[in-house]
Amino acid sequence: MSDYTIIGKRMPRVDSRAKVMGKAKFTADLKLPGMLVGKIKRSPYAHARILNIDTSKALALPGVKAIVTGKDTEGVKWGVFAYTRDQQFIQTEKARYIGDEVAGVAAVDEETALKALDLINVTYEELPAVFDPMAAMASQTELIHEEFPNNINIHVNIDTGHVDENFEKSYYIREDTFVAPEESYFQAEPYAVLARFDHDDCLEVWCPNGGPHMKSKPLSNSFKIPLHKVKIRKIAIGGAFGGRSEICPADYICALLAKKTNCPVKIVFTREENTIATRQGHAMITTHKTGVDKEGRVLARETTCYMDGGAYSSTGPIATSVPFLSMEQAYRMGSVRYNGYRVYTNKPIRGMIRVHGRGFACGLDTQLDMIAEHLGIDPVEMRLRNSRQPGEYTSTKSYVDSCAMDETIHKAVEASGWKEKWGKLPPFHGIGIGTNSVQTGFPMGIRGGSQSFIKFNEDGEATVMSGVVDNGQGNDNMLVQIAAEELGLLPEDIHLVSADTETTSSDPGSYSQVSTFVGGHAVKIAAANCREKLFEVASKILKVDPGNLAAKNRMIFVKDNPEKCVPIKKVVRVSLLNFNSVNAEGGYWPKVDMKREWVSNPYGQMCEAFSFGTTIVEVKVDPDTGQVEVLQATAAQDVGYALNPLVLEGQFEGSVAMGGQGGMLTEYHEWKDGRCLNPTMLDYKLPLACDMPKIKNIIVESLDPKGPYGAKEAGMSIAMSAAQGYSAAVSNAIGVHMDSFPLTPDKILAAIKKKKSKAD
Amino acid sequence: MDKIDISLNINDKPFEVRVAPNDTLLEVLRDQLDLTGSKESCGEGVCGSCTVHMDDKPVRSCLTLALEAQGCNIKTVEGLANGDDLSDLQQSFIDHGAVQCGFCTPGMLMSADALLKSNPSPNEETTRKALSGNICRCTGYAKIVEAVCHAANPHDRCPDCKTDNNSGE
Repeated sequence: MSDYTIIGKRMPRVDSRAKVMGKAKFTADLKLPGMLVGKIKRSPYAHARILNIDTSKALALPGVKAIVTGKDTEGVKWGVFAYTRDQQFIQTEKARYIGDEVAGVAAVDEETALKALDLINVTYEELPAVFDPMAAMASQTELIHEEFPNNINIHVNIDTGHVDENFEKSYYIREDTFVAPEESYFQAEPYAVLARFDHDDCLEVWCPNGGPHMKSKPLSNSFKIPLHKVKIRKIAIGGAFGGRSEICPADYICALLAKKTNCPVKIVFTREENTIATRQGHAMITTHKTGVDKEGRVLARETTCYMDGGAYSSTGPIATSVPFLSMEQAYRMGSVRYNGYRVYTNKPIRGMIRVHGRGFACGLDTQLDMIAEHLGIDPVEMRLRNSRQPGEYTSTKSYVDSCAMDETIHKAVEASGWKEKWGKLPPFHGIGIGTNSVQTGFPMGIRGGSQSFIKFNEDGEATVMSGVVDNGQGNDNMLVQIAAEELGLLPEDIHLVSADTETTSSDPGSYSQVSTFVGGHAVKIAAANCREKLFEVASKILKVDPGNLAAKNRMIFVKDNPEKCVPIKKVVRVSLLNFNSVNAEGGYWPKVDMKREWVSNPYGQMCEAFSFGTTIVEVKVDPDTGQVEVLQATAAQDVGYALNPLVLEGQFEGSVAMGGQGGMLTEYHEWKDGRCLNPTMLDYKLPLACDMPKIKNIIVESLDPKGPYGAKEAGMSIAMSAAQGYSAAVSNAIGVHMDSFPLTPDKILAAIKKKKSKAD
Repeated sequence: MDKIDISLNINDKPFEVRVAPNDTLLEVLRDQLDLTGSKESCGEGVCGSCTVHMDDKPVRSCLTLALEAQGCNIKTVEGLANGDDLSDLQQSFIDHGAVQCGFCTPGMLMSADALLKSNPSPNEETTRKALSGNICRCTGYAKIVEAVCHAANPHDRCPDCKTDNNSGE
């Protein structure tokens, strides 16, 4: 057992009191004096040239304060990378998907703003559109972006060498193709943004975000104002799941309307807009070819994946890589060749999502099960023979330090009763296993590190400043726990100032699962530095060496004589009387390979730590309806160290819901000519309380040598492996290896029928 | 449309408001009375984020016209606590880690509070059924269900219940 006081404990979250009282303010809850309502006019066409926009009638409508179109934007294009700058915030030349931004309105109320949208007359010339990545690559019609031939947005090629010769050496080779359509985030909070320019011409913005500093830079660029003049404010955020990271065109449009009207403007998305005009998950077609030796060890693998990227790049280079990276981390592969293509289509923009690559990962695991079946090996044994081990390098040359993949497998097997169930369950009753690994961080250049400042107030309490954002996962509490532990205070003594670009230093945001590892680490170092200053002063009061001091429960005491102590409050006051304030800073920058680049050089140290997870799922399938009843999910993840098991379990359980229950059984989008047919919560089937199985959580700790207290990414390996576990369990129940995800009743019934007709 | 003056009884206080016939109760609560605890997430009666009580029954305030709420006792999430004293249910949500992003929490609490009024010791199945009109995207519901089941009946063996035998440590 550790001797931490606050870290490692089941501590209820500091933000939950305001949330259960209805006091927590989300963006849509905010009101400022003179605030106007903003609305966005969107393209009704999937691909169309914009010939003319006539705003005169709309402007004449009483109550309309301003209208902005592409003319107001100077045609600036945004992209996450220098080589992916392909998106204007308001289109000037053409619309590339149904929902693309063409104009914005600010008016005194919503009704007037909506009327004004109807009065804006846009003349379009419709262009041929493509809605499928394979068709898009073969298309002879006008390219979606003229500078990207064959509509190929991103091509990631990874080749470790020796692939062909290792296929030659293989005892058994399989090649299978797996498909999955798009999925969506459905954050509880529909996107919203409030913007105003203050008395100093600073742009002040409130909006859900995956990192405030990721929002401030593009706004600073597009308004051509210095970074310090863009103040992204902290606000409660109703979920992100990867979908709130980038700048949203609405942020720019809202700010532009605020500038034009000199009033605060608030835009609140409808549920449909949140689905269509933020981001979605990529649809994927993935072919895995795998060669193994007699014992089932993978000698060679070749994977080719086509991703439907939608109309713009978004985080394309990252999205094209991550499904492969997760698999190369989870499994050893003797040699591998990967070709990932992200293809433009005239559909909404695709970005990173918590379960990015479900078809990819489930396909790979399904194929492992097929190979295991052929060789007469148990699926668990198949995984153990190929699982990542500590001290190894991944195929793309990332060193893997802490790794308890095997322990997650063993513990999940034990807790789920796998040995008593595998091969022994009655018909249409199945069990399956999935394993995965997720990055704790991406190489993010100058924004890869985080810095924290701490100051003590004269009452002995501390203010902690950090750029880390809380999207709902509990990051605020994580920072408070760490600061309280290091400073010897109680959580209620910590005042957190975070996720505000005016007061906090640059931080990578909650993007790439790195908040604890980097941002939490920075707070830990800052707090330790601050504690040292306290100890210097306390050592003079207590007349002992600072090295003999410890801090706990608001007291500084002598380690081997705890009776000899002094309150922290007194130490702070003594310090002030001696002309010294008590404060400190601390920063953490992960040592990644700065030369690693997603497309041009996908080799080198990716991040400092990786999480590993296993989910085992047990299901019953109704052979008459194709309905799946999930009996139990056992989720085990190597999280490095559990800073707060209560919060962690919540991440595991939410991951099983989104990755497994929703991601593998019910969640997908349907389309007609580029129009999403199920953008609402009525039509898109999210898991409900009555759908969820019993979930067994198993926290595995490998104590990462670099992570704060040994912690690393927590929860994402469950989201991914849950999808794999669900698909394996259904395949096992019906005796058919499924290759099209999610596993909806129609597909399950068709598979059962096909199997039966073959048997007859 | 002509606006109408009506009075509403919300959280045991009378309010005079001027509403359009098509104003929903949710719009009036949020926009006119600054009771922003009730949330709009789907806007079509599916997600339950806007749940409030009308005469102790949970209703979707996004599908309820403000006019329909006249003469009823309306309770919102802001009315669950007694001043700074949280209800057992609210405290149970905190203690069991049932709150993540918190956007669905107010609606979830109102549905759960209505359940507990009719059945102070619901079992897991009853609870899951009663909460199935409230969508949570973060938690997978496990901790919410536990928080509701244990709200009025703390369990000795639950690490997150604060009972005499269990200080919650």
